[in-house]
Amino acid sequence: MFPLFAIIIGIPAVALLASVLTGGRFGKRLSISSTLATMVLSLYLAASTFFGNFAPSETYGYISALGINLKFAATPFSVVLLLMASIVLFATALSGNPEAEKEGTAGTLILLFQLAAVGIFTARNLFAFFIFWDIGVIALFFMINRLGSSNRKKASYKFLMYEIFASAMLFFGIILLYMTTHSLDIGYITANASSIPLPYQAAIFLSLFVAFMTNMPLFPMHAWLPDAHTEASTQGSMLLSGVLTKFGGFGMLLLFGMLPIAHAYALDTAVAASFSAFYAAFLLLKQTDIKRVIAYSTIVEMGIIMLGVSTLNQFGTFGAVYAMLSHGVTIALLFLVVGVLHYVFGERDISKLRGALSGSKTLSYAFIIGVFATTGIPLTATFVADILIFLGSLGAFGIYSLLPIFTIAVMGWYLYLVIDRSIMNSKNPLPVLNPPGLKQKIGIALLLLAIFAFGVFPFVIIKILKG
Amino acid sequence: MAYDISALPYSILAGSIFIIVLVSAVAKLYNGRKVLFALSSAALIAVVLASYFLFLSGSNTVFLNIFRVYPFSDLFGMLIASLLLLVNIQAFGASGDYNAFLSLFGFASLGMFAVVFASSLLAIFLGIEAMMIATAFMIIIEHRHHVEAAIKLFLMGSVAAAVFAFAIALLLPYDPALSLAAIPGLPGAGKYLISLSLFLIAASLSFEAGIFPFNLWIPDVYEGSPGYMTPMLAGINKKVAFVAMISILFITFGYYVHLFPLLFVALSAATMLFGNLLALVQDNVKRMLAYSSISQAGYIMVGIAVATQYGIESSIFQIFAHAFMVVGAFSIVAWLESRNIKTVGDYAGLASRNWIASLSLTLFMLSMAGIPPLIGFDGKFLLFTSAAYAGMLPLAFFGVINSFISMYYYWKVISSVYSERHKEKLRLTRSVAFSVAVALFMVVIVGIYPQPLISLAGEASRSLLALV
Repeated sequence: MFPLFAIIIGIPAVALLASVLTGGRFGKRLSISSTLATMVLSLYLAASTFFGNFAPSETYGYISALGINLKFAATPFSVVLLLMASIVLFATALSGNPEAEKEGTAGTLILLFQLAAVGIFTARNLFAFFIFWDIGVIALFFMINRLGSSNRKKASYKFLMYEIFASAMLFFGIILLYMTTHSLDIGYITANASSIPLPYQAAIFLSLFVAFMTNMPLFPMHAWLPDAHTEASTQGSMLLSGVLTKFGGFGMLLLFGMLPIAHAYALDTAVAASFSAFYAAFLLLKQTDIKRVIAYSTIVEMGIIMLGVSTLNQFGTFGAVYAMLSHGVTIALLFLVVGVLHYVFGERDISKLRGALSGSKTLSYAFIIGVFATTGIPLTATFVADILIFLGSLGAFGIYSLLPIFTIAVMGWYLYLVIDRSIMNSKNPLPVLNPPGLKQKIGIALLLLAIFAFGVFPFVIIKILKG
Repeated sequence: MAYDISALPYSILAGSIFIIVLVSAVAKLYNGRKVLFALSSAALIAVVLASYFLFLSGSNTVFLNIFRVYPFSDLFGMLIASLLLLVNIQAFGASGDYNAFLSLFGFASLGMFAVVFASSLLAIFLGIEAMMIATAFMIIIEHRHHVEAAIKLFLMGSVAAAVFAFAIALLLPYDPALSLAAIPGLPGAGKYLISLSLFLIAASLSFEAGIFPFNLWIPDVYEGSPGYMTPMLAGINKKVAFVAMISILFITFGYYVHLFPLLFVALSAATMLFGNLLALVQDNVKRMLAYSSISQAGYIMVGIAVATQYGIESSIFQIFAHAFMVVGAFSIVAWLESRNIKTVGDYAGLASRNWIASLSLTLFMLSMAGIPPLIGFDGKFLLFTSAAYAGMLPLAFFGVINSFISMYYYWKVISSVYSERHKEKLRLTRSVAFSVAVALFMVVIVGIYPQPLISLAGEASRSLLALV
């Protein structure tokens, strides 16, 4: 059989090596072709999972002395998230850098992050999961540190210290799991987790939960996110919000599926997630930088996703995966549009950006549709996701769990205000400094297509998720 | 008597070490730098090959009652010889008096190999002394201003030697031959004498190995040493002390393993924390790395504190890992120091001046911080899981937290390296580039595929424990 996962992981690895050895000269071209190849492969994987019972899995011997294998498999969740990640990565590599600044470095780092993203969503072994996790963190640290705006150093440190704390907690949790089950295979652990003594289960749950909540992020571990997103380059923000936060979400799905003790904590985590969403929604109202507004909307969305994971029923879990899919493409679109708006008009402050609609119709309508998609207007992917999540939480926790809907309302109200005050406001319009390029338009079109495709044909993803 | 062909590897091993000493002896009489360099390097390569062959054959032979060739010593023979080779190449490429270096290098190597292949406490004692004294003089030969570092090392080493001598004297009633063999568990007063001896030996070897609280000399000596000597001090001398520690503790005191956690858990935790906290506030990169190597010694101690076969295996792995990381990192740092680039601020823009050196330094530091998939991560994974297996969860947790702390100062350097742009390029000298390439190979390739080294370490640790 042909080694699908070895190819999916091998492509960015080889491209990365080539890019490093040539000193980054071909970074842009290599990153575009590598992400395109991965997108084609993950579409193929998704299509074959949809049309038939195609569940490939590959195991490679790694450290036999410790009983650690590298196992990769296509679980329903991983197929969907891989699809999302590969679309976002391709759009990022193709169009995220309208200024064409440091393209070699950016391309090389995108390749490094691509390696992490495709690895983490397909790995079925926690050792490999951890390796790819840290590669992803390092790639994005450099992305912020080297390619961001003026305050990038401080933001990148903040990002790093939070993320490395998360990875230390993850490492400790993995050691505990290895100690109690003598295996790091996710399937094996899931099957045997009930034999882990309860105090250990609680310790494992706690350390892994802290790790993933820092990455997602949830209140109170969210402080890195607004700064990191604001200071990162457009590509950095797209990857941070679109893909990196999903590492934590995916980890939460694994954790809640793995440990039986999760049932005991589900209500607590749901309350924490809702609180986090409310907290971020109200902070969002204070922001004047559009990029920062969108950054806070990420925390809101991730809180709702966490609510979905906490329900532990099919509706909520599927909703959480669907929300990660929709949020990934939507937020990438919004960051891309805001980045290009900044390139076109040299401004992204709500009170100063004027005349976007008359200056660039493409960007303005893309932004408006992106806001629609974020707030869950029907026919966009987020609508399906939110419906599923709240159906699930209604079943699991009762009527009060519908309260977080108001966070979407608050967020939506402010985003529509942004559209009204800024995008559609044509008093004293700003001059167009640089017209948006074709590549940027292709990237925007791709992400818009994804938003509507997942919104109009939800049964495709649901069938994949049902396995 | 006919020559038995099966003795050939032993002859090559002994003969090569002898050649190194011989080269050393004639170094000041004969001026041919290149010939002497070629001879000493060839002899070191022969030691590596012969040790590897003997390791594969799994032999366990005692010579003259003071040397023992068995997988544990073969493995470290390989490690020490290959690291010595790197140091030799760097010294040859450096501007100093190579012949003077070589005249002491042989005696230092002899001491190291005596420790590694020892089967007697006296061999270990003499080996460590030969190594320490030769090293102290090697620090001075390049320039007078290194004398402070040399004296510090010499004085500390002398105190340690006195303590060591006292400790083995306590063992004399129980083993008049002072051979490296297990002392049986004793009742009553004997038990306390043995315990005292154990603690004293641990203390004296802690000087060389840089274990808290005997590690205050390390940053000063590392900082004050010439470029090629810092990799040797951190990468070889320290590791030889660990080899001595592991072999004495687990062979001679093999029946007192239950005492190890009592002593070493606290020492290892304190060493990690001490090194990391002081490294946080350093501005000079060489000093920072010196403190970081103290904290790495703390990680190595975790495996000794755990005192299981898995723990020893992890420690051996981490000794290998750290040796190559630190030799690579110190080679680059020393090369930069010779161009007057010393503080974190001076490192700004290094990436635009020499991207290969910057990338290598980044990888070495990431590896020390325990970022996968580099070798330092594998070592930490082994060490902390071994602690968790032995029921020492707090120690494992403490280690994880410490590697989180250490991230901060490594990133300070990395971030500085990639910050500004600099017009003027820097070229790596060939000898430094070679060391860095070898170290990088180990850090990246063995890091991605650690299985061979883990199984080597496993075999070595089993052969060590089989002696008890």
